Amino acid sequence: MLSRPTTEQILLDCRNELLNTIDPAVSSEPVKIAIQMMENVLRNCATRAAHEIAWMREETEAMVAFARTVANGPHSTPDVVSALATFDAGASDSLHLDDVAATYDLAGGCLSVALEAVMAAGDDVLHLQGRALLDARLAHETEIMGEWSFVGRA
Amino acid sequence: MHTPDEMPARLGAFLTAQDGSRSATVDSYEAMVGGYSRLMARAEVTWDDGSHETLVLRGDPPPGKAMMETSRDAEWALLSALTSAGSIPMPAARYYDATGDALGTKCIVIDHVAGRSLQQLLNDCDPAQGYGSHPGDLVDTMASVHTVDVDAVSGVLEVPSDWDSYIGGLIDRYRQADASHIEAMPFLRYVASWLDANRPAPLPLRLVHSDFQPANIMVTSDGGHQVIDWELAHIGDPREDLGYYNVYSSASGPNLFMLDPEGFLARYRERTGFSEDAVNLQTVAYFSSLAAITVYAQILLGAGAMAQGANAGLMTTYTLNALTVGHSNFMAGCTPPDAGGR
Repeated sequence: MLSRPTTEQILLDCRNELLNTIDPAVSSEPVKIAIQMMENVLRNCATRAAHEIAWMREETEAMVAFARTVANGPHSTPDVVSALATFDAGASDSLHLDDVAATYDLAGGCLSVALEAVMAAGDDVLHLQGRALLDARLAHETEIMGEWSFVGRA
Repeated sequence: MHTPDEMPARLGAFLTAQDGSRSATVDSYEAMVGGYSRLMARAEVTWDDGSHETLVLRGDPPPGKAMMETSRDAEWALLSALTSAGSIPMPAARYYDATGDALGTKCIVIDHVAGRSLQQLLNDCDPAQGYGSHPGDLVDTMASVHTVDVDAVSGVLEVPSDWDSYIGGLIDRYRQADASHIEAMPFLRYVASWLDANRPAPLPLRLVHSDFQPANIMVTSDGGHQVIDWELAHIGDPREDLGYYNVYSSASGPNLFMLDPEGFLARYRERTGFSEDAVNLQTVAYFSSLAAITVYAQILLGAGAMAQGANAGLMTTYTLNALTVGHSNFMAGCTPPDAGGR
């Protein structure tokens, strides 16, 4: 396959074309707003294309490690054990996007129940460790989002 | 509404049939921008008695193209009840095509408000010069919603049995949103656990607009406010609107609450009669996390439908980022425990 230019570069080029060629030729206000939205979506997709597999894999590893720590400690619950068993049965090493996303979903389920367990137990140390994983997830989402506001909402 | 070229004739026939005694001619019809969830249009209408008026149409997008699904039937019932009650400044609900046979989609027709939205007026302000009477006016409008007699809308909106079960149900919507979504969203169950463990003092349940933001307030030439876009309104905790306003305006400013939080809340308490025990900075922070679930869950539903091939369209894709804004606000509202504690 052709790997260069990357998908990120191609999408950003489409975005530039949209802004510099198509937008100036349009006078309809609803269409101009749609162009602004499409510009944002293309930018989001470019960032995702560049990083999403790596980010999901990194997060998956950290979420499951946290859940295993909880499962092996005094605050383990049947839900945590069950989520980890489901992960172990369904996780894939494939790097195809659908497979990575499916594994990421299973890991997210592990983090959800592990966080519930440590919060119910009042374990602030593990609570903060689990919360740090949410912060990392949010940091990736925020990088994908970039500058964003409610375009045309007034 | 999905075929604009046909709309002047179709709308004229619809209005004529609805009125029963006069004949309407639609002089102009144009799509309006600014609304996200529903199609909006403005029509200039001349009646055969010589009178003229401007009307606004609010209809459903084509199937599979809506960023959120809400009921026009329910919205019409609420708008009709509020119009009859007359206690909230809002454009009157006039007509309803309940089947979509006449206008191509279920469509509500309301009076047009001559003026600009509060968001547009705020965008024109110079922050260095301040925002004049807008912060106080905003508080007063919010308080006017929260002091409506619940009996006026109890026939069209479900009235929860008590505050505690209502808040419990609202918190549970985070867990439901997670359970029904196509992928695990760990933010949601984390926030639900935090909110459950940190419930504030209760307040009487009141009418909640649920999308209380300056773009949904039209300002007339005399400075009066008219509240629009009631599709998510319900009976709930009035602090939901305070929290929602705070998070919305943090993403799409200016945030008039943050200019003077204590002053904003003092005026709100004075207008509503609510106590400082229930309305304070801590409870606004709490409801800044809790209140977003109504809109958030709708957007998440659209995202899930898109992932499963049941929804499409630019609006759904574009508003995915609103979910990230929601996650950011959830985390900001749920303060972490002290480091080192156990």
